[in-house]
Amino acid sequence: MYQSIVMTGLGGQGIITLANLISEYASENGLKVSLFNAKGMAQRGGRVTSEIRLSNDPELDFGARISAGKADILIGMEIGETINSLSFLKEGGAVILLNYAYIPTTMVLKKEPYPSFEQLTELYSGKTKELFAVKEPKHPYNMFLLGVFTAVAPAIDAGLSFYSKQSVEEGIAKKLKRGLEENLQTFNGGYAYGQSLLQHV
Amino acid sequence: MKRSIIGNQAVAYGALAAGVDVASGYPGTPSSEALTELLHFSQNNNPSPYVEWSVNEKVAFEIATGAAWAGKRALVTMKMSGANVAADSILSVAYSGTKGGLVLYIADDPGVEAGMPEQDTRLFAQWAGLPVLEPADPGRVYELTRYAFELSEKCELPVILRSVTSVAHAKQEVEGEYTYKPLGRKPEFEKNIFRYTKAGSAICIAQHEALLDRLAVVERTVRDTGINMMVESGDRNGLFLVAAGALIPYVREALSSWDHQNLSTLFLESVYPLDKELAGKMFEAAETILVLEELEPFVEMQLRSEASRLGWNGSILGKLDGLLPRVGKYSQEVIGRGLKTLASGMAGHSAATSRPVVSSERSDPGNEESAAEQPVAAELSVKHPITFCAGCPHRGTFLAVNRALKKIGLNQDNTVVTGDIGCTILGMNPPFHTCWTEVSMGSSIGLAQGFYWAGIENPVIATIGDSTFFHAGIPPLVNAVQHGANLLVIILDNGWTSMTGFQVNPGTSEQFQAKGARRVDIEGIVRGMGVENLQVIGPFDQEQSIEAIIKALQQEGVKVIISQAECALTVARREKRTLIYQIDSQKCTFCRSCLRETGCPALYVTANGKKSKHGQVMAIDPQACTGCGLCYTCCKFDAIHEQKLGG
Ligand code: SF4
Ligand code: SF4
Repeated sequence: MYQSIVMTGLGGQGIITLANLISEYASENGLKVSLFNAKGMAQRGGRVTSEIRLSNDPELDFGARISAGKADILIGMEIGETINSLSFLKEGGAVILLNYAYIPTTMVLKKEPYPSFEQLTELYSGKTKELFAVKEPKHPYNMFLLGVFTAVAPAIDAGLSFYSKQSVEEGIAKKLKRGLEENLQTFNGGYAYGQSLLQHV
Repeated sequence: MKRSIIGNQAVAYGALAAGVDVASGYPGTPSSEALTELLHFSQNNNPSPYVEWSVNEKVAFEIATGAAWAGKRALVTMKMSGANVAADSILSVAYSGTKGGLVLYIADDPGVEAGMPEQDTRLFAQWAGLPVLEPADPGRVYELTRYAFELSEKCELPVILRSVTSVAHAKQEVEGEYTYKPLGRKPEFEKNIFRYTKAGSAICIAQHEALLDRLAVVERTVRDTGINMMVESGDRNGLFLVAAGALIPYVREALSSWDHQNLSTLFLESVYPLDKELAGKMFEAAETILVLEELEPFVEMQLRSEASRLGWNGSILGKLDGLLPRVGKYSQEVIGRGLKTLASGMAGHSAATSRPVVSSERSDPGNEESAAEQPVAAELSVKHPITFCAGCPHRGTFLAVNRALKKIGLNQDNTVVTGDIGCTILGMNPPFHTCWTEVSMGSSIGLAQGFYWAGIENPVIATIGDSTFFHAGIPPLVNAVQHGANLLVIILDNGWTSMTGFQVNPGTSEQFQAKGARRVDIEGIVRGMGVENLQVIGPFDQEQSIEAIIKALQQEGVKVIISQAECALTVARREKRTLIYQIDSQKCTFCRSCLRETGCPALYVTANGKKSKHGQVMAIDPQACTGCGLCYTCCKFDAIHEQKLGG
């Protein structure tokens, strides 16, 4: 098994935390893991991407960065930035799309149209059928998405079955000290949401 | 022991394992975490090395050099642009060489994740005459950092450890010791003017020769380590693939799914000086060679020159023939293009075509960032411009500059405001559009004098952050005072080096300075230079700030305003908020002045207004608002009000 996962969105959405949880958990399960966070301008509302590469073959060599057309899974946390990341996804790759838009001030003031969630899903459905649209996410989004990811990952690749509800919950409990209760609740909400999405695919 | 760490942290632990005694540096993306990790270690462990963030890269390098000349092991860290600042000393120290291990960690940024030129430190190293190690991944960073100290001592030369963003920020499992092993050497500095001064041409010439001799020693020393590895394929098809540093894992990855011919490989992590014996061995077996490296054709040029010296008449594929780009980071697609060309009957290519040709078209950048903007999505694509954080004091300063200009009949489009490196440069972005230039550390003040002497009629303003001022803003200000330029310099003093991750600088409050370190006062420095027209303002007090700026613009000569308030993020990390602002949806007319003027990210549009036409009003995110009050100064309808937070 070999998976390249790209996450994209804006600073402040908790992408790095999510990427850390997903990759650390894979590492604890004996996988060879590489994580690259591009977060230069995260604190000032800029674009953030995380690139995770996982393999269960310790001999397999790979670089940290994921090239255009090479992501097996793409998790998009903000509509505009997810549109900008389209070329990361390989043809037929799996994509998890979150219905959240942060409209830049300049566009608000000039009343320029911002792409909608429908436009986003339409754009991606031109590239893949394996599309999980998270239309009604709950806060905090990163925990909700972790739930969705945990639910759908084994369906995307059986090699990712170690992401099981119970074990990821335990993982969260180990890593997050603050607001654990609320985070677990959101994670569970996301997990249930992910399961419902699986039934539609 | 294994730990998941990023490449920069691996520099820190490699240096600790080598027993580094002194470490210094200046923050700069993508290099900063190396020294941050060492500083953290030194604050929590005993024994530990001496670690400091220096005022700039030149000083940092000189501190490391002093320690190394006294026989200790020293590390200095910086981003590629920092090497330019330290260049004067680096080139001179190269002539003298070193006693104790002296390692320069320099991180380049192909693909430009952080802004600034895509300069290739390997060319800088060649210019200085210093050896370069270029590790392939974080694990190799650890190993080669450790080895760099040994090499430096064996060859008596400073060694450059060069990485790139993709390695510096990659988090992977690294096998290491994660402990500090001090060597306990007694410091000893030998008095030797032939080695440590440049007193007279005979000394300089002798040192130049010594440098070249030492480089020859490097070549032989590295050869015995197997850092550079050549593997010949059984096919003997004459096809060779050469890859350097950070590209090695990507090339391995590409080869693992490569179902064409078997290729022979030469993987280089020691890229300067070129191991000519190893190259010669390759030339004996090779007919066509593909060179894969990011940015400049550095290995390629060395190979071409060695090939011509040996009279080898195979062909070399790379950048100089226009096949591969000199711009951006390499994607799998670019690597694949190289491999395909190598395999597709280029073998037996005549020597004539191997000569460098200038390609008429520029090759596509291999940058994924640009590839990420696909034509399909082009009309939907949006940009999120980066802006000051909610509650950032710089927002107040730029707001006041714009307001002051307007009050005296000027504006951002007819008044030159030079910008500088760091968070303050966000004053060029919407909604401010205040800054016109960004060149290099401290350049705002020098450039502004040029605009003045050019005869630009409207007043000229330079804006610069505190850390940048200490780093390189002091000499140009001295110059302005001496020559009597008519100029307003605004120093935006937020007490931290924020952009790169909140490092301390000389102006940081005494309570956050390291043990034994003290704060240096900007106001005292400026007064000491003889600046008479000096005002200190608080940027959240708009009336006072606007008045101060107008007053300064009406004075002659050099005026300085120090705009002082701590970085909103460092405050938020430490203190609980007591007050925020909220918007009364009954009063908000949706005129959007608050958003238009401040662009504060805590402001957003919501849809439950009564008063406005479309039912939309502005609102403030109570989680993000710091209570700075700037938006309050924009509202003509009294819709924005304070709200005390409980507790
Ligand atoms: S990090 Fe600090 S100085 Fe930089 S934009 Fe944010 S609040 Fe302002
Ligand atoms: S008071 Fe206004 S400008 Fe200041 S942080 Fe809050 S919303 Fe932003």
